Amino acid sequence: MEDDFVRRWESQVKKGTLAFILLNILRDNEYYGFELMEQTRRLTDIQIAEGTLYPLMNRLKKENLVSSKWVEQESGIPRKYYKLTGNGISTLKIMVEYWKKLEESIDKII
Amino acid sequence: MKKINFQDKSAEKIYHSYIRRIDRTLSVLPKSDKIDLLMEYNSHIYEGLQSYGHKSEVERLLQITQNLGDPEVFLKPLVAERKLIQATKTFNPKHIFQAIFLNIGNGFVYSLFALLYLCLFSFLFLIITKILYGTQVGLYINDGKFVALGILDVGPGDIEVLGSWFIPVLLISMVLLYLLITFLLKAMKRK
Repeated sequence: MEDDFVRRWESQVKKGTLAFILLNILRDNEYYGFELMEQTRRLTDIQIAEGTLYPLMNRLKKENLVSSKWVEQESGIPRKYYKLTGNGISTLKIMVEYWKKLEESIDKII
Repeated sequence: MKKINFQDKSAEKIYHSYIRRIDRTLSVLPKSDKIDLLMEYNSHIYEGLQSYGHKSEVERLLQITQNLGDPEVFLKPLVAERKLIQATKTFNPKHIFQAIFLNIGNGFVYSLFALLYLCLFSFLFLIITKILYGTQVGLYINDGKFVALGILDVGPGDIEVLGSWFIPVLLISMVLLYLLITFLLKAMKRK
């Protein structure tokens, strides 16, 4: 029962922070989907539900936080590269500030 | 979209069946959006096959599709949301109908929409029955109280009040109901 609660909570936290994590990873580099997922796994140890990555990137694009472009490959199967937009960079700054404040507040009580 | 080539026939089958599942789930989206997402999952599968190089094609493919999950599950929120945006932009009844039913799981309010939509169709049904059966269809009151809107086996004291206005009144109600649903959907989307 408690385990269940913790698992559900963990999954909510992950879901709620995934966009924030992805935006951070895209801060210094542009990546295509599979690479973005591997980077996330490598840098954060977080295993994302891979199928949901693309709908989420789609949403971030609709919100004008990232832009994307298809790049043709020799294999004939193009890659779609994502990068932060100007709006994405400034939004991420605000998110990082909020995250730090949140971290401080939580640190005080745990 | 360029399909991935496989040497192994089973791997090829698994691949085509998985792509078909994505394609089917995305069928309600506009064509360009659908192709874009399909290409992205196709690219994901291709890159995955390259990166898990040391296993057999089937093993690699199964690992990739397993990590991705069921398309019907991971695509549902996107499809539901997109349909909603499309529905409120176009006023097209087909899109509105799909949007409502895809979003029913997203809260009570969409069940209410479904009910309103059902009302809309019942009005249409009543107009058709009025044309076919005339006298037994109408808005009936008895002694100042509402009795029925619809088909009635008329009893003593029941009076039909709309008469030849029945069809125009229902048509106007349908238009109003339709506008109400569409504007409520728009308001929901803005939330």
